[in-house]
Amino acid sequence: MSSLVESREGALVEDKMPTMDTHRGFVIKLLHNKRFLYLISIVGFLLLWEWAALYTSYAEYMPTPWEVLKELVRVTQKKLAGKDLWGHMWASIRRVLIGFALGSAIGVPLGLLMALSRHINALVKPVFDLFKPMPPISWISLSILWFGIGEQSKIFIIVIGALVPALINSYNGIRLVDPGLYDAIRMLGANRRQQLIHVTLPAGFPALFAGLQIALSVAWGCVLAAELVGARSGLGFMIILGMNTSRPALIVGGMVVIAITAFLITYTLSKVENVVCPWKVELPQ
Amino acid sequence: MSDETKLKDPLSLKIIPWVSIIGFFLLWELLVRTGLVPHVLLASPSEVGRLFIDKLTNPHPDGSLLMTHAAISLAEALLGYGLALLIGIPLGLLMGWFVVAEGLARPLFEMIRPIPPVAWIPLAIFWFGIGLTGKVFIIWACAVVPCVINAYTGVRMSNPTLIQMARTYGASDWQIFMKICVPSALPMVFGGLQIALALAWTTLVAAELIAADAGLGFLITMGRRLLRPDMIVLGMLMVGLTGYIIGVIIDRIERKLTAGLERGGVSS
Repeated sequence: MSSLVESREGALVEDKMPTMDTHRGFVIKLLHNKRFLYLISIVGFLLLWEWAALYTSYAEYMPTPWEVLKELVRVTQKKLAGKDLWGHMWASIRRVLIGFALGSAIGVPLGLLMALSRHINALVKPVFDLFKPMPPISWISLSILWFGIGEQSKIFIIVIGALVPALINSYNGIRLVDPGLYDAIRMLGANRRQQLIHVTLPAGFPALFAGLQIALSVAWGCVLAAELVGARSGLGFMIILGMNTSRPALIVGGMVVIAITAFLITYTLSKVENVVCPWKVELPQ
Repeated sequence: MSDETKLKDPLSLKIIPWVSIIGFFLLWELLVRTGLVPHVLLASPSEVGRLFIDKLTNPHPDGSLLMTHAAISLAEALLGYGLALLIGIPLGLLMGWFVVAEGLARPLFEMIRPIPPVAWIPLAIFWFGIGLTGKVFIIWACAVVPCVINAYTGVRMSNPTLIQMARTYGASDWQIFMKICVPSALPMVFGGLQIALALAWTTLVAAELIAADAGLGFLITMGRRLLRPDMIVLGMLMVGLTGYIIGVIIDRIERKLTAGLERGGVSS
């Protein structure tokens, strides 16, 4: 056993107990090994869950991990209200994509215009600030009243949810561009159009893209909320069906699928980000 | 010439926002008054105002006064939020500094993290019913995530030079954690508080829309069931206003606390 371990800061420091017997040293080493701790954590969690689902007074309300897995496999084969798991998943994703596309198609240009023109900003910002603090989900009732419980009402909510972060981020992204960059390009003799193309847009793009990422995850939350309130398809409908028919395995299974989808969306976007704006630097806090 | 435009510009920029807001409300009122937008679909601002005054004293037709709805929503949100802070912030701070804490908590946290807050609603209702406990659980589950992330990132971003210096002077792990990591994480923690609050408030409204017997979200749902657009709009406005006020309060507290921190840093 080496008497030197790497400290958190990367410097080599002397192990605190080089004279201890190897047993103790081994345990301490294990406790500093992240992979081992991760393993303990996950196994411990699953065991605890299994135990709680089998032996505690909550057993009736709690599916075991194994039951959840079986339920998920079952749903991929058997249809639930006319659609299997993939059908429901596609129904949700389709709504998100349409709503997100519309929301960012309105939000991004509006945000850019507001950042570039003070007059447009003065005109739009007060009304926007009025709507901003209202959670998109609170539009559900009005949206159902206006569009019925079909696709339109759900997409409307997603549009509202995606519009706000898309607009705010493109607005702030452009406004907070380092003024030194403008000074530099102006000194090189650039006109307004060149400033816009060579400084404003590239420098504001990372923030704008971050806004789109937020918009997409907000959209994912909104579609679930909309489906919980009234729908015949989608993952949100699946878990509310589990609630209404007292099938906890379906609820938890649905949550697992929702979480995985959300994770995949975030992961894909962060990969896309590396491709579309490689010049991105971490924004100062 | 340039002086003239400088004088002229701010004036028009001062007027336009008011024109915009007043124009917006006038247009809204006119659209409903003239019947271009049917009365069952949208209420005019004046109707909403009248209902607001009426609901202050009249529990009809949804069973509670406006203030009762607001108080119930606030109690649910703040209780869940408070619990999320109590658990999330210390957990995040510990995860940022101690390897054992991170190793044990990280995988569980990464499992919960991608679940959108509203997806907890059916499970919470199934477990706890539509009362206070279920709502508090939902709020807790969604608000705890940003608390942990921000506290964790805050500790991670503390200046390594300070940590190495403290080490050189013989500070223990715990001392470094308390004296350096926690204070330098504070601004990030407050950022997390704001995010968590906005999230908690949104999620609460969603929860109340789906299952509740009181609260502002319930007011909105009842408005839809009774085909009363004025109730819906009133509920939405109240939700927005309350969320805004809480945000301002947190901002004030943050400014006070972090200002103290900076002073302490300078004097020592």
